[in-house]
Amino acid sequence: MMEKTQESHGRVSMLQRLGFNFYDVFVFLFVTIFALLCVYPMWYVLVASVTPYSEFVKGGLMLWPSGGVDLQYYRAIFSTRSFINSMWISASKTVLSTVSSVLVTAAMAYGVSKTHVKGMKVVNALVVFNLFFSGGLIPQYMLYKDLGLIRSYWVMVLPGMLNITYFIIMRNYYSYSIPKSLEEAALLDGCTEVGTFFRVVTPISRSMLAAIALFIAVINWNDYYSYMMFIGNKTNLQPFAWILRRMLVDQTMMNQVRKGAMSLGSQPPPPMALRMSTIICAMLPIMCVYPFLQRYFTSGITLGAVKE
Amino acid sequence: MSQKTSAIAQPVLNKRKTGFITYIKKYWFLYMLILPGFISMVIFDYGPMYGIQLAFKKYSPKAGVWGSQWIGLDNFQRMIADPSFVRAFTNTIIINIYHLIFGFTFNVFLALMLNELKFRKYKSVMQTCVYLPYFLSWVIFSGLVQVFLESPGTADSGGLVNQLIAMAGGQPIDFLKRPELFRGILVISSIIKTSGYSTIVYLAAIAGIDPALYESAAIDGANRKDALIHITFPRILPSVVIMLILQLAGLFLSNFDQVYNLYNNYVLSTGDVLSTYIYRISLGGGGTDFELSTAMNLIMNLMGLVVVGITNKYVSKLDVQGIF
Repeated sequence: MMEKTQESHGRVSMLQRLGFNFYDVFVFLFVTIFALLCVYPMWYVLVASVTPYSEFVKGGLMLWPSGGVDLQYYRAIFSTRSFINSMWISASKTVLSTVSSVLVTAAMAYGVSKTHVKGMKVVNALVVFNLFFSGGLIPQYMLYKDLGLIRSYWVMVLPGMLNITYFIIMRNYYSYSIPKSLEEAALLDGCTEVGTFFRVVTPISRSMLAAIALFIAVINWNDYYSYMMFIGNKTNLQPFAWILRRMLVDQTMMNQVRKGAMSLGSQPPPPMALRMSTIICAMLPIMCVYPFLQRYFTSGITLGAVKE
Repeated sequence: MSQKTSAIAQPVLNKRKTGFITYIKKYWFLYMLILPGFISMVIFDYGPMYGIQLAFKKYSPKAGVWGSQWIGLDNFQRMIADPSFVRAFTNTIIINIYHLIFGFTFNVFLALMLNELKFRKYKSVMQTCVYLPYFLSWVIFSGLVQVFLESPGTADSGGLVNQLIAMAGGQPIDFLKRPELFRGILVISSIIKTSGYSTIVYLAAIAGIDPALYESAAIDGANRKDALIHITFPRILPSVVIMLILQLAGLFLSNFDQVYNLYNNYVLSTGDVLSTYIYRISLGGGGTDFELSTAMNLIMNLMGLVVVGITNKYVSKLDVQGIF
């Protein structure tokens, strides 16, 4: 079709015969360059972090690991005790908060999606209101102090149990994406509300729940805020994201790790290399779940966004 | 069992006579389901609100929140008189406007361009690439920014960009400590991190366009660029407007995560935003001005609420679901 239009203008090049024109080339270049901007930094850091010292100091674009793969920087950071400990803290906190958060949020979203039941609309408004109005940092701090949560592991888990953003997405999913007739049929067939929820609704929404669990897990793995605000200086509770932040800005921490690396028997590794290997460690779990995330999230984010 | 079934089958008939007990009996399970979330909401979302009174009080740690002395609007007067607050407030709005002008426009453009890619396989590879950075935290991302932009130090030759500048024979630039560059870094890093992900909404809208429209346009002699301008763009306009309104609703909100991880003392003049300032005067950086921090939070929240109230009205007027 297009070739015809082009021909009527009387200039047909080789590329146009193949179905390309300037417009396509522009689109192709624009998208490709932007995509490279998105992934090259990660690739660069990954390659640089496994490049041997002698090659590393030369710098350059690091398109491919030259001079072999050397894991000395990873050995250096993992010989520091706080790294292993923080991995455990992050992993356990991620599992605990994700499980509790998905269960609590999904259950509530399902209940509230039944707007014909008395009180549900009010509860919904109460939850959503919080998205826009909250006490703020200091009132939160005061409450946690009263509850004895300050400097406790649980301050990283409990307050996030009800996730308002995903509450809205799940509520919309339950209201719009599950055929009403299905639930009605189950109820008419003598299935109880309990049975409908566990045997009809939950199996259908399994993939939505899995997707949201992954999203919440990524958020929790990345979280350092709750530690920074409400725990502060208890080093045995540091999550990995906080260790990474310290590696980026805290000179004392960096010197400590470099000293540790020297006792392993090499020259002091460049700070940049240690930062890179820490960045890769923080990224790795996310990369592992990304393929699964991607499969679901295109549908996940638009759940309930469009009325049918 | 049978009683319950009949109650469900004839809800209208029973509605008036149903007492409280019968109602609960019928729906107890739904109330049980929302209970944990409800308790969590009451404690962790509404619980802190008693602390808002600090905005009108002079906090003394001994007396606690309730026992501290009321001082009226003194905290708010201090807030308005505080030049750092005014600076943070202006910065917040300016940075948000930059995000709106550059970031928002770029998102729409990127979505259109992704859609115009001819080969499906290639398109999905590109999508995989551009969505990815969204899932990295700002801590990781600030690490990447540092790896690329840092100036040469004593122990290494600096970030990649400065290495390249040095190779080309130029002077290294200390990107991260130049106030005039900081907002640009915020906008660009945020485009790279979130633009890809933001296209999902638009691509979903594009996927819903009837292909027959393109076919008939092609028959009428339109090329792909014409189709983009006259078919695709008008069709996604509603989504664009909604996203625009939502973004406007956040005009007074600042991205703590991003700014906190990228800024430093050198760039406070252009980079300090409300959330980072609120943090610095209360819990971080040695400050303990709890009252001032609470007062600022309260004002921000109220202003945000007004904007959201207005925008939600407009969103509900469009043919889409509002947030409430």
